[in-house]
Amino acid sequence: MLEGKFEEASLLKKVVESIKDSVQLCNFVCSEHGITVQAVDDSRVLLVSLLIGNEVFSDYRCDRNITLGVDLKSFAKIIRCGGNDDYLTLIAEDSPDSVTLVFEDKNSDRISEYSLKLMEIDNEFLKIDDMDYDSVIKMPSIDFQKICRDLSTLSESLQILITKDSIKFMAEGETGNGSVILKPRTDIDKPEQSITVKLNNAVNSTFGLKYIADIVKGTSLSNQIVIKISNRTPALFEYKLQSGYLRFYLAPKFEDE
Amino acid sequence: MGIKGLNRLISDNAPEAIRSSEIKNFFGRKVAIDASMCLYQYLIAVRQADGQQLMNQDGNTTSHLSGFFYRTIRMVENGIKPVYVFDGKPPDLKAGELEKRKTRRDEAIKMGEQIKDTGTMEEIKKFEKRTVRATREQNEEAKKLLKLMGIPFINAPCEAEAQCATLARDGKVYAAASEDMDTLCYQPTYLLRHLTYSEARKIPIDEVNAGVAISDLGLTRESFIDLCILLGCDYCETIRGIGPVTAFKLIKKHQNLDNIIEFIKKDEKLSKKYIIPDNWIYKQARELFLNPEVINSDEINLKWEEPDLSGLVDYMCKENGFAEDRIKNGAEKLKKSLKTGVQGRLDTFFKVIPKTDAQKKASLDKKRKSNSNDKKNNSKKTKTSFRRKK
Repeated sequence: MLEGKFEEASLLKKVVESIKDSVQLCNFVCSEHGITVQAVDDSRVLLVSLLIGNEVFSDYRCDRNITLGVDLKSFAKIIRCGGNDDYLTLIAEDSPDSVTLVFEDKNSDRISEYSLKLMEIDNEFLKIDDMDYDSVIKMPSIDFQKICRDLSTLSESLQILITKDSIKFMAEGETGNGSVILKPRTDIDKPEQSITVKLNNAVNSTFGLKYIADIVKGTSLSNQIVIKISNRTPALFEYKLQSGYLRFYLAPKFEDE
Repeated sequence: MGIKGLNRLISDNAPEAIRSSEIKNFFGRKVAIDASMCLYQYLIAVRQADGQQLMNQDGNTTSHLSGFFYRTIRMVENGIKPVYVFDGKPPDLKAGELEKRKTRRDEAIKMGEQIKDTGTMEEIKKFEKRTVRATREQNEEAKKLLKLMGIPFINAPCEAEAQCATLARDGKVYAAASEDMDTLCYQPTYLLRHLTYSEARKIPIDEVNAGVAISDLGLTRESFIDLCILLGCDYCETIRGIGPVTAFKLIKKHQNLDNIIEFIKKDEKLSKKYIIPDNWIYKQARELFLNPEVINSDEINLKWEEPDLSGLVDYMCKENGFAEDRIKNGAEKLKKSLKTGVQGRLDTFFKVIPKTDAQKKASLDKKRKSNSNDKKNNSKKTKTSFRRKK
């Protein structure tokens, strides 16, 4: 039996909104530690890895591992029905064929209850090893979102160059070119505005902007985004949650060998 | 011409081995394509509205050129890097099969003549398609076109499928593409089917994982080859009276053909029911599948080059009457796809965790169940189904 109560429905709302354009069908695996999701997009370029730790919930109970196969498009429709500030409780039996969402309005006695039919989702699991990355940057997530959106008007690809003292985002297109350069900075009053670069090796990597456009939908989850990049290997984009994370692994584009 | 009933046998007994997906999911992959198969396919399938083959002003067929040009571009546009492999000389054992095909063709020509005046359009078309064969000239024309397009091709010493499979196994390409299921006998990593079909048909591409297919059938490579021979291959006869189901059962029980023959001969009733051909050359056929004549992959260097635009215009437009703007447009697409970087794939970095046997069994049962339910409901087959209440 799964029973997880969110203090505010908005967290799960944001999570679902952040990943529903990257993957449609995914298994929510619930265990005593919390809820995890791993899903790969159809083209196998982008991988979504989510952990909602049990500390995020105000009440959490899950005695046995339960897998909820969810169509995110339908899930998003249902979850939009609840108010942002409502309590949200997820309820499922041990081998469920549906999951129940209960929204409770804090100011009145209104209780709304929805159930979503579950799917059998037969997906492959990728094994992700911990890696040492050439470079790790941390920056305000909203800035990253704006840079990517601006540059996507020019090109389908985003080139990221990282050196010891700068991060450069570049896009070259038929109509013109654009670039944005950031320098590391520390803001003591507003730490979420800080930009840090940890560098082992200089990085020059290129990514498809259509995938990045899906990744930055996670912006609302966290003030900061952590980007871990190595040359010629998938990059990791991470939004930290209060307990847990939403991670995207994105395979780079190559110039041909 | 493929192996009878093998596709069905695999999809029934090893469904995990086959995955259907759209062409766009194969971006960034190099694929070795059985060109001789394509050539034949294009000659049959690429037609004008009235069912006639495409022709140039001299009356020579150009259906194959159209097929090679547009369908290659379709692949390239989807980020696939194709390499074509042409048949060399057929193995001696194939002579019988080729003879049979020729007789069938001659018959079709005769029938075509007979019904030319009396038959319906449909019938005439049917027999006309059966008379199609690929000529040496058409092979050369296709190669010339590929060269102008900057697409690499290989002349296999013998069977093209074998060469394609070897390229895939040695990691030179991701998969072998052919419609012939016997490609699986040569153990490619993956076999792609329907890759060269026209876009308009909207048929998904089947990706057959050869290793999984063989292991999920509970066979070894050797016993799998024997199974294919028993089902009917191009190289030798089969035992009459044994269909796919019996063949699979026998192989599972006796592992190889030698044991099966012994088993049948020992039993009087069985030897009346199943007639083993005299001087059956299954051993030679097996040898052809196990050790085909191929070029060593180390000696093969694949390179995709820029298309030769003026050469293409000269050859396709001036000589063969294709519209210039469409050829130029196509060449532009080839060039563009070559230039833009290739999108990497996660599965080249992160390995797929293999399913445990229990999971496999569960999904097999589920598929069977949903298949039988689908049949009952006569509904479309979907990969995911809603959970049913127990």
